[in-house]
Amino acid sequence: MLNVWVAGAGMTRIGKRSEALPDLMAEAAHAALSAAALEEPDAIVVATMNPEEFLGDGNFASHVATHMGFANVPTLRVETATSSGAAAFYMAFAQVAAGLHRRVLVVGGEKMTHLSTPRVSELIGRSIDPYERSYGATMPALAGLITRALTAHGIGLREFSQVAVKNHANAARNPYAHFPQPVTLNAVMESRIVADPLRLLHCCPISDGAAAVVLTAEPTPVRVAGIGQGTDTLAVRHRYALTSFRATQEAAKAAYAMAGFGPERVDFAELHDAFTPFELIALEDTGLVPPGKAGRATLDGDTALDGRIPINPSGGLKARGHPLAATGIAQIVECVWQLTGGAPGRQLSGRVALAHSIGGLATNNWVSLLEARRP
Amino acid sequence: MIETIAASRCPRCDTVVAPPAPFCPRHPVAMIPVGLQGIGEVVSFTTLHSPPEGFRSPLHIALVELEEGARFVCHGAETRGLKMGTTVAIEAIDNVYYFSHLGTLDRARIFWRRTGRAGDRVNAIARSLAKRVWKGKTRAEN
Repeated sequence: MLNVWVAGAGMTRIGKRSEALPDLMAEAAHAALSAAALEEPDAIVVATMNPEEFLGDGNFASHVATHMGFANVPTLRVETATSSGAAAFYMAFAQVAAGLHRRVLVVGGEKMTHLSTPRVSELIGRSIDPYERSYGATMPALAGLITRALTAHGIGLREFSQVAVKNHANAARNPYAHFPQPVTLNAVMESRIVADPLRLLHCCPISDGAAAVVLTAEPTPVRVAGIGQGTDTLAVRHRYALTSFRATQEAAKAAYAMAGFGPERVDFAELHDAFTPFELIALEDTGLVPPGKAGRATLDGDTALDGRIPINPSGGLKARGHPLAATGIAQIVECVWQLTGGAPGRQLSGRVALAHSIGGLATNNWVSLLEARRP
Repeated sequence: MIETIAASRCPRCDTVVAPPAPFCPRHPVAMIPVGLQGIGEVVSFTTLHSPPEGFRSPLHIALVELEEGARFVCHGAETRGLKMGTTVAIEAIDNVYYFSHLGTLDRARIFWRRTGRAGDRVNAIARSLAKRVWKGKTRAEN
């Protein structure tokens, strides 16, 4: 297997965007290509979760490639629900590692804000087990069930509300974020109930946006040290545990095995906080804090920008925003920027970064490890 | 009379799932049909304040663990007084499963929450009450 390096990274501002999705994806792709000083990649991997229903457009790999002037470049699309971006990153990694292509562009994006919130929730909810859906289970409903189960494990309203406060504070330093405004603990704890005990400010927004990276076999300042995938049953009721995600644990195990090091080497991470309790679950599932310590670590400020292990310096899904298939790649972009001194206002000093993406209700998750080359 | 809930068991790992599935979620083997008693323990529950289309707010959803470890998603009238670990009875009305830990009036309110024709709802309530009386009688006889 060849070493794989990140040659360039770029993304659009996340939020409510008026541009068409192919334009957003072209903006992100051109930013990444220009950072890589590359006019045309050897291959392209596209990630979109559901353009068929959000936009009414199919054959999206060819659609995007043609729109960007790359109709002659081999392009394919990858989909694993909300972690599609991370899956596309894996596909591009595999192409370069196997020696199939030398320079591969990965671009992911989603456009949803032109639809009503109930319609978007319903379309995203189609990734849930059909039986559970027939009982009105939505993503927030299942997250609500998981959050209540967490309260029996010492994680209460205060702990998962503090995650929102921290991530909004980080986003206030990120010009690409959907929500640039900070929030107070009281505002989070008193926001309206969505799926008891989850409240509105514990949930990520509906966002538009795109993100892209270029992977290459030529050494650059950032190496992809490891990638792992983990899976679990589609139905939440078939899981052995509610308060941890097997899919994350297995993905982390595989990524650490490939990298040849463990969580002790990770300096900061981008974790999938679609619902803020999920950041606490991921902290423990990836081994970044010991089991049972995620709530305490968060309240003590260990995961803040100036803490021992900063989590979601970008603001996370919660405040940077969650344009579905863009998210897994936007996490990688933030990690690359942090590792190369490209995150002014929120710059960290670490050498190893971890990105964690959840597909569906933790049915198809990914963990990626990026490492800055020693100067 | 306690409701029997259709389920299936994996011959390889003994996992039981409800409703029944043709294949075990974790093994590529055909499952064996089984019936489970409609009584279980609440694993978790939530109340949705903006439920999807076709459901009225607030929508109470519980994850209930039946015997042999099968977990089951169902509706309820009320989560007042409900805790993780509470024992609940499960019953099916029109192929929809409900948990209940409350009295008759509370149970009747479940069905007013359902969308549909008023006549169907009255029928559902009548059938639920009839079952309740029948269950009470069976218990008294035991």
